Amino acid sequence: MLDLFDDYTLRTVALGSAALGITSGALGTFAVLRRQSLLGDAISHAALPGVALAFLLTGSKAPLVLVAGAALAGFAGTLLVMGVTRTTRIKYDSALGIVLSVFFGFGLVLLTFIQRRPDASQAGLDRFLFGQAAGLLQRDLVTMAVLGGIALAAMLLVWKELKLLAFDPDYGASLGFPMRALDVLLTSLLVVAIVIGLQTVGVVLMAAMVIAPAAAARQWTDRLGLAVALAAAFGALAGVSGSVLSSEAERLPTGPTIVLCATAIVIVSLLAAGRRGLLWRELRGRRDRRRLRVAAVLADLLALEQQHPDAHRGHSAAVLSVMSGGALPSLQVLERRGYVRRLGEDEWVLTDTGRTEAER
Amino acid sequence: MTAPAIEVTDLTVAYGEKPVLWDVDLEVPQGTLMAIVGPNGAGKTTLIRAVLGMVKPAAGQALVYGKPYEEQRRRVAYVPQRGSVDWDFPTSVLDVVLMGRYGRLGWVRRPGAEDRAAAHEALEQVGMSELAGRQISQLSGGQQQRVFLARALVQHADVYFMDEPFQGVDATTERAIVELLRELRTRGKTVVAVHHDLQTVEEYFDRVTLLNVRRIASGPVGEVFTEENLRRTYGGRTAVFGHNGA
Amino acid sequence: MTSGQIEIQLIAVVVAVACALPGTFLVLRRLALVSDAISHSILLGIVLGFFVVGNVNSPLLLVGAALVGLATVVLVQLLQRTGLVREDAAIGLVFPALFSIGVILIARYADGVHLDIDAVLLGELAFAPFDRLELLGWDWGPNALVVMSVILGLNVAAIALFWKELKLSTFDPALAIALGFAPAAVQYALMSLVSLTAVGAFDAVGSILVVALMIAPPAAAYLLTDNLVRLLLLAAGIGAGSALAGYWLAFALDASIAGAMATMTGVAFGLAWLFAPGRGLLAAARRRARQKLEFAQTMLTIHLANHEGKPEAAEESRIDHLDRHLRWAPDFAQRIVRLAERRGLVRASGQVLELTQAGRELAADALAR
Repeated sequence: MLDLFDDYTLRTVALGSAALGITSGALGTFAVLRRQSLLGDAISHAALPGVALAFLLTGSKAPLVLVAGAALAGFAGTLLVMGVTRTTRIKYDSALGIVLSVFFGFGLVLLTFIQRRPDASQAGLDRFLFGQAAGLLQRDLVTMAVLGGIALAAMLLVWKELKLLAFDPDYGASLGFPMRALDVLLTSLLVVAIVIGLQTVGVVLMAAMVIAPAAAARQWTDRLGLAVALAAAFGALAGVSGSVLSSEAERLPTGPTIVLCATAIVIVSLLAAGRRGLLWRELRGRRDRRRLRVAAVLADLLALEQQHPDAHRGHSAAVLSVMSGGALPSLQVLERRGYVRRLGEDEWVLTDTGRTEAER
Repeated sequence: MTAPAIEVTDLTVAYGEKPVLWDVDLEVPQGTLMAIVGPNGAGKTTLIRAVLGMVKPAAGQALVYGKPYEEQRRRVAYVPQRGSVDWDFPTSVLDVVLMGRYGRLGWVRRPGAEDRAAAHEALEQVGMSELAGRQISQLSGGQQQRVFLARALVQHADVYFMDEPFQGVDATTERAIVELLRELRTRGKTVVAVHHDLQTVEEYFDRVTLLNVRRIASGPVGEVFTEENLRRTYGGRTAVFGHNGA
Repeated sequence: MTSGQIEIQLIAVVVAVACALPGTFLVLRRLALVSDAISHSILLGIVLGFFVVGNVNSPLLLVGAALVGLATVVLVQLLQRTGLVREDAAIGLVFPALFSIGVILIARYADGVHLDIDAVLLGELAFAPFDRLELLGWDWGPNALVVMSVILGLNVAAIALFWKELKLSTFDPALAIALGFAPAAVQYALMSLVSLTAVGAFDAVGSILVVALMIAPPAAAYLLTDNLVRLLLLAAGIGAGSALAGYWLAFALDASIAGAMATMTGVAFGLAWLFAPGRGLLAAARRRARQKLEFAQTMLTIHLANHEGKPEAAEESRIDHLDRHLRWAPDFAQRIVRLAERRGLVRASGQVLELTQAGRELAADALAR
């Protein structure tokens, strides 16, 4: 880990990945809440021709130029998705699929077209496909940080308006807020979050960075603010750990490693988090079942006592097991609590406190 | 004579070529409780949305205290249908009620102590004070409705539009809502509610509008809520028990 | 054209048709993005299959990879069933993870062994004619052509065989369950077909562009017809056409064939979106314009009918007051009045309008609806 501070490349990659993680985690929370998870997938695939066109039209490979191209294309893609769903009977998922694949295909055409040109300067562009974190430069980092910062600042500024948009847009409209404009704004922020990450993880995997941190964070909290903050933190964690891991090991491409770290965070969250976690559910289920069994054995002991006039005779665990299955562990619990006394090898009898408890 | 709280004239709304509201006229005097009833697809929700400026009418207009809605936002509060939001959203009861103050706060400003106090007060009015911090996903139907009502109350409006406020709530909540409506009326407020239950129209409301794309009838409940009008609205497929003559 | 070129186009068409068939059902069942998910995670399937079988061209590889595609669907459903993650998020969590594992495996263990990420994702149709299937001493043609033809045959057979079940469970799942068809089984069968087709096509067009061929042509066809058989045929036709057009575009630009094919499916969809009779944008615009005028005339008759015979009739029936009561601009009002007159709905005496019997009937009719 000390490498992190010495190694310039690693530092750049880690910082860049952190920036991407924070922005996509935060804004991804809104996307996931609004059921627009896969819109992120469509936007990132749609960004590809934007990058190529930006280069074709300006001849420049400056990060700001390419990112701007990516953003415009991504945004155009969203508009098309909205347009298609609003004006035809084609549903949202199909519209996303069309935009995603057609734009991506077109992007490939442009990329291969550029590649065949005599100046063969396309080399820098296909890193947008799968990401090439190692190729991140200082100026890329600055672009990412500034854009990400602006996006986050905007989100914080109109925080309550975005909450309205995500929760109850009709009500927001009745209050006089321009919900359509806010929708466009939020989508634009999402586009920005996505395009700044493309160089690091590539168009194919960027969708995961929008969804995974948000999905993980949602498991830990029921408050929107905390969910967004946590998602940002998880995104950064995935980004940094992915970068570090990928630099430590051999031939471990950074993009996929970051995504797997994010996925790991999701899995841990699903299993362990608070009251919703799957492990907790399992444990709680077992605890509840155990409680029921103990109560059943206590009740059975009382019933047996009342049936047999000799109130101080003990009953064997075997008999009790017949009545309510596997009584021994329950009997031990009851003994510990003082409700039951052991008379012999396998003879159990209610104590006075036990009897009062059972009669309740 | 004070201006009517709501005045709708010649209101016509169509989605594509389907007419949803045709040439609707109605008046809601101040300080009354009006129910809007009609079959499915009769345009009831659309009527509210058109008054609130959320839908552009093909013809006609709707005025609030003599002025268009955009100029009177402060005086109007909206309680949408419960089913129109996803109650799994990560937010608390208090948070939702605070949304009622957003109009007053305008852009960017966050709710402060004063807003929180107002929200708590509204929650008390609907009997939900102890649940202020509760996650909305853990609320029952009746509790959800109360939260929506509190959100509207906190706006301190003069006119309240409600979309099926009694739908799917328990008996206690229903009584509480009726109490609330009556109290609002006592304070001179006006309530217009889309109502789904014909059996309770006469008991809960002063006035009623029978709507089926066109306004069939509108006025005091005693005058207007008749067999004949109901038949014209629902096409002869209703029975209102305990009604005069039924 | 060289025989190589002909073969490439043949492969392209076969791939397109093979994709359009299951794709139609994906579009109808709102499962379009499942194709996206499957086509990404297939990379992992291919890698794992390669490790097991050792040979990229083996049919076992195909089957194994297809199984991974199916596993994706299962995983997504499992995730959904926990209740902790929504469906769309579940998809977006599963396929990038599987895809990433695939990429990492390739980078670490399969580098330079004829298993190149680019090839899997993007395909390279141009090389297909060189990879031939030689069996029993005879040249059966390019591997890709044989494989895809078999898969196409499977798709056609499966659809024909399970026609009733597919149709019913797509349009009326409740009825399907009631009748004892198992929609879940049909679903999994469909997913298996999608998976198999995607794997088969990876050689030619790469797995991602399979999405374009599976979704865009059926979507375009969906704007053109309501009939399921015609839908399938149109989807296949549009797919094939886009594939051919794409080939020639790529030829002209010297660019990626697969990318060009995807682009052309987009163009085809765009054309359908604009020009589809009835459902296209142009048709809709024309219809809206016409409806607006008709609607306005109907409104006029209703307005007049509403106030007819009442004290305010004289006021409400004046042409120059229509702008106030109906909120119409004066020239629009004039236009509507003229149209209504021509249709015999109203009669104008000076500034006052009078409803004709025909007009009254129109009004009554409109309100009765």
